[in-house]
Amino acid sequence: MRLHIKVFLWFWLGVVVVSGTLIGLTELTHSRAQDDRLWQEKYGPRVDLWARQETHILRTQGSSALEEYVGSFQADPGVLNYMFDGSGREVFDRQASAPVRAMVEGLMQSPGWTQRVDAAERIVAERVLDANGTPYVVVVDFPPPSVLSRSLLDLVDADFSGGRPTRASVIRLAAVVGVAGILCFVLARHIAAPIDRLRSATKRLASEQLETRIDRDVLSRGDELADLGRDFNGMADRIERLVTAQRHLLSDVSHALRSPLARLNVALGLARRHSPSGAQEHLDRIELETDRLNTLIGQLLTMARVDSGVGLERRIVFDLATIVDEVAMDADYEARARRCVVEVTGERNCPVLGAQDMIRGAVENVVRNAVRHTADGTRVEVTVERRDAAVPPTVLVTVRDHGPGVPDKVVPGLFVPFHRGPQAEGTPSGTGLGLAITRRVFEVHGGTATAANADGGGFVVSLELPMHVRDDVDQSQADSRPTTEEHGNAITAA
Amino acid sequence: MRHLLVVDDDAELCQLLSEYLVPEGYDVEAVHSGVEGVERALSGDHALVVLDVMLPDVRGFEVLRQLRARSRMPVLMLTARGNEQDRILGLEMGADDYLPKPFNPRELCARIEAILRRSGGEAAATDARSAGDLTVDDVSMSKASRMAHRGGEAIELTTVEFDLLEALLQGAGRVIPRDELVRTVLNRPFSPFDRSIDTHVSNLRRKLGPAPDGFERIKSVRGIGYQYAVRHLPQGLKK
Repeated sequence: MRLHIKVFLWFWLGVVVVSGTLIGLTELTHSRAQDDRLWQEKYGPRVDLWARQETHILRTQGSSALEEYVGSFQADPGVLNYMFDGSGREVFDRQASAPVRAMVEGLMQSPGWTQRVDAAERIVAERVLDANGTPYVVVVDFPPPSVLSRSLLDLVDADFSGGRPTRASVIRLAAVVGVAGILCFVLARHIAAPIDRLRSATKRLASEQLETRIDRDVLSRGDELADLGRDFNGMADRIERLVTAQRHLLSDVSHALRSPLARLNVALGLARRHSPSGAQEHLDRIELETDRLNTLIGQLLTMARVDSGVGLERRIVFDLATIVDEVAMDADYEARARRCVVEVTGERNCPVLGAQDMIRGAVENVVRNAVRHTADGTRVEVTVERRDAAVPPTVLVTVRDHGPGVPDKVVPGLFVPFHRGPQAEGTPSGTGLGLAITRRVFEVHGGTATAANADGGGFVVSLELPMHVRDDVDQSQADSRPTTEEHGNAITAA
Repeated sequence: MRHLLVVDDDAELCQLLSEYLVPEGYDVEAVHSGVEGVERALSGDHALVVLDVMLPDVRGFEVLRQLRARSRMPVLMLTARGNEQDRILGLEMGADDYLPKPFNPRELCARIEAILRRSGGEAAATDARSAGDLTVDDVSMSKASRMAHRGGEAIELTTVEFDLLEALLQGAGRVIPRDELVRTVLNRPFSPFDRSIDTHVSNLRRKLGPAPDGFERIKSVRGIGYQYAVRHLPQGLKK
């Protein structure tokens, strides 16, 4: 829309300015012609009168009286008065300018004429005969009007020319403004509308609506925008194919890897039933390893899902504090076996936007990790903090255990997939993927996951997510979904 | 012999399951497609259906939907582990329980036992637990007919939801811990990080709707469990 307005205004302004200039110029030249005509009407008869007067003075009072009379013209600045006798000689031998002489000669050679006027140069030549029948030519050379003063006069004095050309100009200009306005609006729309469509299509595609395509309206234009639309569709086709293939692959791999495991588990159950008690220990081991393998497959698939963005389309607004509570509650139940306690402190009502299950899993990884590593009989401290002052506001969750901690140089590697931290004596080993998944989950949600050794021993993991701010326009869709603490409501049909 | 129907496209797994379950007192019929699954499940020959989510023709959810349209027979869903959406969707659509695949066969047996005890023992349970009806405010349930009503209007509930409502109404006004609900309603020991009871509560809430005064009927009590909020003294408990 902004482009539309911009293109529209520029085109409109351009057309109006060009047309206005044209109209103005027409107006200017038109009134100059009129100006000249009026001038001629005014001074032609006057010069005729002066010429008769001058010849009369010359004949009756002599040339000195005429000189005095002619000299009085010189009092008017710029006005020159010449008198030529029948042979073309200036009576007082004054030098006349070339246009003046040309007019005198022209008048001499056309006996039928008594007056010639060059309105543009403001020169009038008059042929008169004195009482004796001697021909004379009187020329009055007025100063030419300055172009600037005449233009200004045109603009300021609407009725200068006597007629109404300026009102006509106003109507003309209004017509240009109107017609150009309509045409430019249509033109601007023609250019900007498909760009708007392309933009909204891009936005929809980016928000996982992979079936988005540019429609026929744009494609049938036959210009570069249509080409761009076609390229967009080609790109969208390819992205859709890739994402669909990726999702199918994930689900196929999951199925293909788990089917043998499922059979293995049942076979293991059968084997237990029929084997001597001495073999049970080894069967336990097989079961444990099967479980680990299964967990590993699950985590690898989770990692792949997070990386490919599957599940992010089901984002909702929910209270992170509630999720942390629920996870901590379950972890606490688990921790009791080792006389440990998981304790949550901090703020309530920390709205975040995201895939709830994914975030729950990510928090669970960290809390269970802490429970696994904290020393017997100690507490795992979980805090939830709203950081409203941060820009943008965030929610910070920290999970602190009272275990042996980790050598500082190993800490950065903890979030790298399959990077093995040092195994403390007697602690069960993880798959090496839990924290890596957690970091990826928080990163795809625009947050961070960091870890450090805590002051006074133990290990602390900090998880931070951007807080969901109510009036966030882009998220209005997610806003309309239920924000209740019940995760069951988070479902959208797949 | 109790008859089970296993709907899973993995024929070898079905074979192994059959082998495992027969000594436990079950008779297993296996079908390998969703269409067959619906057909066989509606025949009424089986006490319970073990239904895999991943089927070659139609998704397990579709089988469940078609089944639920015509029958309340108990269904245990097998879902892909780590796929929370499948689990929640299955329970929302009325599955009685779910088990992530691959599963431990002992666990499968225990779950089947629990579901059958719950649904098969309906008649017995009617007189074992206090017979008759239970009414709290505008919600009433009849254990004999296993019907629930809200303001005279029947509510369609699955077996689990019915039992859950019963547990909540019996303890109306009291906060019932989640682990207690898992034990009494799902008939299995509580295990942390298993959120199926929450999903069932959520389904029940949705079906019941809010109380006439607009408040939520079933309140979540953070860190403990759930409470059925009482507006007036429950008549069913006035004795």
